Amino acid sequence: MQQRYASGTVGALIDTNFVTPVTRQVLKERMAMAEAKPCFFDSPAFDLLSIVCDRLMAQDSENRIVNVALFIDERLKNKTSDGWRYNTMPPDEKMYLKGINGIEETANLSFKKPFSQLTISQQTEILGAIQKGTAEGAIWKEMESPLFFEELLTEVTEIFFSYPLVQEEIGFVGMADANGWVNIGLNGRDGIEPEVIISNTP
Amino acid sequence: MRSYQNNEIVDVIVIGTGAGGAPLLARFAKAGLKAVALEAGKHWDPKADFATDEKEQNKLFWNFERLSAGKDPIPFGKNNSGIGVGGSTLHYTAYTPRPHPEDFHLYSDFGVGEDWPITYFDLEPYFDELEQFLGISGPSPYPWGPPRKTSYPLPPLALNGPAQLMQRGCKKIGINTSPAANAALSAAYYQEHVGWRQACTNRGFCQAGCSTGAKASVDVTFIPLAVHYGAEIRPECFAINFERNGTGSITAVVYKKNGKEERQLCHNVFLCAGTVETPRLLLLNNTANSSGQVGKNFMAHVGLQVWGEFEEEVRPNKGIPGGLISEDMRRPKDADFASGYLIQSIGVMPVTYAAQLARSGGIWGEALRTKMQAFNQVGGINMHGECLPDVNNYLELSDELDETGLPKPRIYFTAGENQKRMSIHGEAVMRRIWTEAGAKNILSHHRNAHTIGTCRMGNSGDKAVVNAAGRSFEVPNLYICDNSVFPSTLAVNPALTIMALSLRTADLFLSQKN
Repeated sequence: MQQRYASGTVGALIDTNFVTPVTRQVLKERMAMAEAKPCFFDSPAFDLLSIVCDRLMAQDSENRIVNVALFIDERLKNKTSDGWRYNTMPPDEKMYLKGINGIEETANLSFKKPFSQLTISQQTEILGAIQKGTAEGAIWKEMESPLFFEELLTEVTEIFFSYPLVQEEIGFVGMADANGWVNIGLNGRDGIEPEVIISNTP
Repeated sequence: MRSYQNNEIVDVIVIGTGAGGAPLLARFAKAGLKAVALEAGKHWDPKADFATDEKEQNKLFWNFERLSAGKDPIPFGKNNSGIGVGGSTLHYTAYTPRPHPEDFHLYSDFGVGEDWPITYFDLEPYFDELEQFLGISGPSPYPWGPPRKTSYPLPPLALNGPAQLMQRGCKKIGINTSPAANAALSAAYYQEHVGWRQACTNRGFCQAGCSTGAKASVDVTFIPLAVHYGAEIRPECFAINFERNGTGSITAVVYKKNGKEERQLCHNVFLCAGTVETPRLLLLNNTANSSGQVGKNFMAHVGLQVWGEFEEEVRPNKGIPGGLISEDMRRPKDADFASGYLIQSIGVMPVTYAAQLARSGGIWGEALRTKMQAFNQVGGINMHGECLPDVNNYLELSDELDETGLPKPRIYFTAGENQKRMSIHGEAVMRRIWTEAGAKNILSHHRNAHTIGTCRMGNSGDKAVVNAAGRSFEVPNLYICDNSVFPSTLAVNPALTIMALSLRTADLFLSQKN
């Protein structure tokens, strides 16, 4: 992927007075959390979920920015909710365990191999079928695969783009707002905001 | 802060400290009543506790699980249900447009929806008062609606990128726009018994909690005023039950504090817990529901959002998110629907935007990463349109228990034909504005915003839960004051109207008492 913004902008700001103490604490805890060990999922389920998260965020599993699955594990361990769920879906813990089994089942039915041993394009194909509701498997007859995919993708996306180094990749330093912003109009850039280094117009 | 014993009979207990509860609490305290507010959430110190971080600030949302049913299930939690002293005003975007007189008699005008038992002019003095007290920044004169008796006390906030883009697009196709009215300060502002609040620093994080006090959430306005006049705020106290006497009056409110049940004796109760928690508490205790209307007619504004990518740097995270407004579509001439909508420019934060691309757009993998690379060039525009009441949209109690140990509410919502037509109309208008403004890769995000209804006010105890003064038809000392009492949604963001109703409810109660 093309890099539009320079690396290191968030790291350079995080210990400065541009970031409030509480913001700094939250971001540092989040980065430390990326080193945690899973508790909710057993090892095979966690490994599979980690790869699924990588595919959803187009991450290289050998060279991740962050393993999103750790944060899902943490939330399920703490039994915290985001305020709602689809009435037709099981509770989150059950949904995740069932969904992981469903992905594995589809992988075996489609390619006669565990999901983790498939090529990236095969893994992507399976996730696409789950999103569309065309994936094979008995589990998807009990739980609507498009809704599972939507719930999973949304949580993964929120975790991924909350990670400071991912925010850096999109040229966002909104966390460094202790002094507020001055140049807020079109093409208005405040001094600490990164400039595009490679320009490609939309 | 003054405090009361549980066994002391206080004049009023207010349940919930948001836009409905806080203004009337301040009124009662000022009138010398013994007033206690029970709040399920914490009492935050915004400067010390509010991080500039979307994920961390999920703590401002009511995150106990609700079940969303119907053909258009409503996502709860984020940005539509608050918790903590200040309620949903902790995360509201500070939009404070007034409703219009015609919004209050939709049924008379169109033969659909509901008329309110009160008029715009019953609330007008409270709008005047609120705009001055909160320090609303806005244009004077305001281009739409009836002439005003007062001007906004502060000039409008500066326009950010999305606001300038909407201005540009609208100008090309002849749609009138104006800087919007926002409850965030464009200059330092002094409030008696509250003190100085400093001007907005353009952080843009209104929906994740204002850490500077520039946004007029009620925790930095009406709550300190209420405390000054002797009200007691009891955070982390979750009301679960009522004790009643032989005549049906409530004698005590039972609440949970640190896992233990306590009961506060009282003469009157003001239930201000919002569109979901207010009917849930009533249904749990089979209270005030002789009409069968508790939980009925759940509504949510038509809230379609349109996003586009621009050649210019927009940096949509900066500045007041809703800088520009147009109310030209309040009653569109070519409408094939009843009522209408307003249009607002919208800024956005990256996690919220990415989550929309994911959930609503179904975008993932490389496509999502690439799309997010253009975040700094994204601008948005959205509509808020009338939602008609519908008997098929309602709240009930489920068999599942939530984290509080009480049955989870299940909420059915399906957008009706009127909303679908309005949404199509609004989408076409907004796409045209965005195209004219120079947007590429335009994306629409269908959504239904603001939770409204479930305990409607009306003139008859057969058809409504409370009367025009907010008083229960069934329980003589129970009042409801929040977004649940709205008989119709009105085509504006609800916070200002909830606060106006709150002050009016308080004044009517006090005048009756004296």
